[in-house]
Amino acid sequence: MRVELAPVRYWRHDLGHCLHTTAGVLLDHHGLDPIEVLGAWWGFHYPGDLRREEYYLPGAAESLFTGLAPHHRISSRWHTPADAETGWREVRAQLLAGRPVAVAADNFHLPFRPAYRDVHTNHLLTVYGFDDEAGQVLVADPVPPAFQGAVPLAEFTAARDSGNPVKHDRDLFFTANPIGNRWLELTVEDRQPAFDQDFFRHVLTENQRGFTDPADRATSGLSGLRTFLTSTIDALADDAGLVDEMFVVIGPVLAVAGLHAEYLAMAGRRFDDHRLLECARLVDRVCHHWAALRIAVATCRADRAAAVPSLRRRAQRLLTEHELVLTEIDRVLA
Amino acid sequence: MKNTVVDISALCDNRGIQPPGTEGDYGFNIWSNTFPAEELPEPGSLVPVAGVPFEFPARPAPGGDNIRCRGQLVPVPPGDYDWLYLLGAAERRTEDQVLLHYRDGTVRAEWLRMSDFWPQTEARFGEPLAFRTSAMRYPRHTHPAHAPSIWQQRVPVTVPGEITAVRLPDNPAMHVFALTLGTDLEARRAS
Repeated sequence: MRVELAPVRYWRHDLGHCLHTTAGVLLDHHGLDPIEVLGAWWGFHYPGDLRREEYYLPGAAESLFTGLAPHHRISSRWHTPADAETGWREVRAQLLAGRPVAVAADNFHLPFRPAYRDVHTNHLLTVYGFDDEAGQVLVADPVPPAFQGAVPLAEFTAARDSGNPVKHDRDLFFTANPIGNRWLELTVEDRQPAFDQDFFRHVLTENQRGFTDPADRATSGLSGLRTFLTSTIDALADDAGLVDEMFVVIGPVLAVAGLHAEYLAMAGRRFDDHRLLECARLVDRVCHHWAALRIAVATCRADRAAAVPSLRRRAQRLLTEHELVLTEIDRVLA
Repeated sequence: MKNTVVDISALCDNRGIQPPGTEGDYGFNIWSNTFPAEELPEPGSLVPVAGVPFEFPARPAPGGDNIRCRGQLVPVPPGDYDWLYLLGAAERRTEDQVLLHYRDGTVRAEWLRMSDFWPQTEARFGEPLAFRTSAMRYPRHTHPAHAPSIWQQRVPVTVPGEITAVRLPDNPAMHVFALTLGTDLEARRAS
């Protein structure tokens, strides 16, 4: 039997990782615009639930899609099969039912990934078909080098069943966390909010509330962001593990901000509102602080204490410009 | 346009261009990826990019072939310049300010915007493509059809005056491979 679900198309945002990329491919399959859905939410929530996964999203481990798109009627649920055979049987059943799914996979076993037979890592991609006779699975992975097509079922199974061990000295951020044949079931309700001015205004209002009046000020919103940055940088010199923690958390935070900048720009064009276009540019500037901070953290291992003053300056600039964006969005909403 | 090529080799502190079959202290980005040297000019070559000459790659130097930006001060031949041209690439796109130091002690900031080097990622800031290799090097192999980019940035000198040095941003996501200063003689004659 052969199944190939459609449409499954290339989608990627340059500041995203495999999480947002895979989510975009799946949302597009469901007829949704990835920027409209993934770009709507902008916020910060880090309850300390760090996971060594490229597809980690702070505070959303159990329902990634609810975390990615809280303004839409979308959710997801991780499945953790007992073994590889059960894992493939479950994914195959989803495909037979016409539902592409996301699966976790170790790039070490995927022939199209540069890490193939080199280093292990914990990646996410879309599965959209299979060919029993050929012993192949159809996967879509727009993360460069982009690939869409067939891979041998044996290698695909090995990638899903991998223990993801540490090998060599690269990709340490996302190793040592077994893949466990996990796959992600996505639920997209039929009725989704229209991208009109009312809904857009609702989205911005809720995002502003999330930043300025979060449920937990210690872990969420602008106060939680400030706490995260100041506390981790303050402790960095004495705790080597904070390098990985900061890097892994910053990745999705950067991606979320980048997508929100695209969302604001799209709204600005659609509603012919130059203030929104200017807000989009300000959010992009915040992204560019995150890009700088991410690499500054990742390169400070040799002398963490020496890096602290520079990291503090960058964090302060980021927070200042973040506050400026919120002020400007308030003006839009006024 | 009168161009002044700046030798930045003494400030290079990152090895982003790697000959085949080599190992060791290479690594443009945090994952130790590099540009294949065999697809780029010889070190110290004078090469034109979008009409501007650059010394690229930098002359051989113990520290490497590019500057990972951490606020280094780059002395330049004193001159009345209109543009800073750079060859650079970033680990994710980013932007920051360079500080122009003038002879009279004045310091002025200008924006430097640098696009991502990562394959299959277009220039965010409209920079001309300077170099794109066909493959990207990993610590233990070279991945074909995985093409990283180096871009040409342009920074305006908005206030005229004699410039003696340029302070690069403290932004280690930015890498500078080459620097050339331009004086727009035609525009000056016309004005």
